[in-house]
Amino acid sequence: MKAKIILLALTLVSTGCANQNFDMDNLNLDKVVATAGKVYKGSAHITEAQEISMGEGIASNLLGAAPLLNNKPVQQYVNQVGRWLSVQTERPDLPWHFAVLGDEDVNAFAAPGGYIFITKGLLIRMKSEAELAGVLAHEIAHVLKRHHVEAIRKSARTTLITDLAEESLQQSGVGSALTNLIGVGTELYARGLDKNDEYEADRMGVVIAARAGYDPYGLPAVLLTLQGMNPAHSSLALMFKTHPALSDRLDLLDRTMSGALDRFEMQPDLSPRFTSVMNNAGSDN
Amino acid sequence: MKWKAVIFLSLLLNMTLSGWAQAGELAYTVRATELKARPFSDAATLGRLMQRTKVEVVARRSSWMQVQVDGKTGWVKMLSLKFNQASNKAGSSGLATLFNVASSGGSSRSATTGVRGLSEKDLKNTKPNPKAFAAMQTYAVNKSEAKQFASAGKLNSQSLGYLAEPASGGAR
Repeated sequence: MKAKIILLALTLVSTGCANQNFDMDNLNLDKVVATAGKVYKGSAHITEAQEISMGEGIASNLLGAAPLLNNKPVQQYVNQVGRWLSVQTERPDLPWHFAVLGDEDVNAFAAPGGYIFITKGLLIRMKSEAELAGVLAHEIAHVLKRHHVEAIRKSARTTLITDLAEESLQQSGVGSALTNLIGVGTELYARGLDKNDEYEADRMGVVIAARAGYDPYGLPAVLLTLQGMNPAHSSLALMFKTHPALSDRLDLLDRTMSGALDRFEMQPDLSPRFTSVMNNAGSDN
Repeated sequence: MKWKAVIFLSLLLNMTLSGWAQAGELAYTVRATELKARPFSDAATLGRLMQRTKVEVVARRSSWMQVQVDGKTGWVKMLSLKFNQASNKAGSSGLATLFNVASSGGSSRSATTGVRGLSEKDLKNTKPNPKAFAAMQTYAVNKSEAKQFASAGKLNSQSLGYLAEPASGGAR
């Protein structure tokens, strides 16, 4: 009993702001104790289930900002490449989904839990399946390392995270804390991640592509292509704002990869399969 | 029979140089580099290119680019090159035209706005799109389908660990 009271006190302190109208008469001590435990955990960690729920909400929001490309062969192809890459990772059983946004902008996004987006504007500048794989693998790495989840946790009010833990106890679908965190998460795509998260995703992305049997130089090849575009072009504005300079990323990849991935250079880039899917993209719309 | 061989050869050529505009894309060297006869470090050296030498990129093979320079064709390390900004227009892969036709029916927004893309403002003012989210789910591929797709492309899984950050730390 004494322990329960201490926990109750702790709970009231830690959730005090959020629960000013706490009804002492209807207090269920056991539930409070359970909540106290979860709150403690919640402040330290966002569970995988919560990560996935957050990702679903963010993915839906991203699809509110840019349309889903209405092209089944292309969407399925991108899912095949992406799902094969995801099998090579430490989190093969997340609900991995890949989608092409029907948008002229040049960009790609990862939402928590395994929701990956690439714009048509980026896809049409690629020349092979290995290039597509390199970009998708970079995004997959953000999910593996929970870069967005951590960034959301850092920029959200602490109480939102503790509220999220309470909500998950009540199990009533998408609660207000989750909705708020999804909002925080969506705005993150306009600001971008820490540049070290981007460098890490580059380093991991080339390895994931090599593990999947692709030529590992697809990602740097895409970055080189983008470097050749007019930097003032509006389609690059958001990507440039939210990522480190292409020259820095290429320089780091060059130094990271040289020597280390030589034995994978003979792996295919499957440019014929890529070209064939893209050229036939209109036949089954 | 002869015709078939010609068609086959031209298809093969197209595949090998897939994606690259026939005239080649203009690039220049960002550092002095060797022009190699083949895409390997130990291949014969055809010559030495000074920094800012103009080249025409013909093809890529992993970390190597096949280039034409001063009437010679050879290979240089991809990351010793930078593309000329003017030469690399949108959709230089040649896919853009077809693909644009193919996707123009997809959504009113991408079809009508053309040039303008996803902006910061779009992200800040967005609302959930459950219908598109449900549509996205229908394209999902499971693990065994992914494995079939990989074997159709003769992709073999490899085992390797992640690479460490380069010793000197962040970007130069």
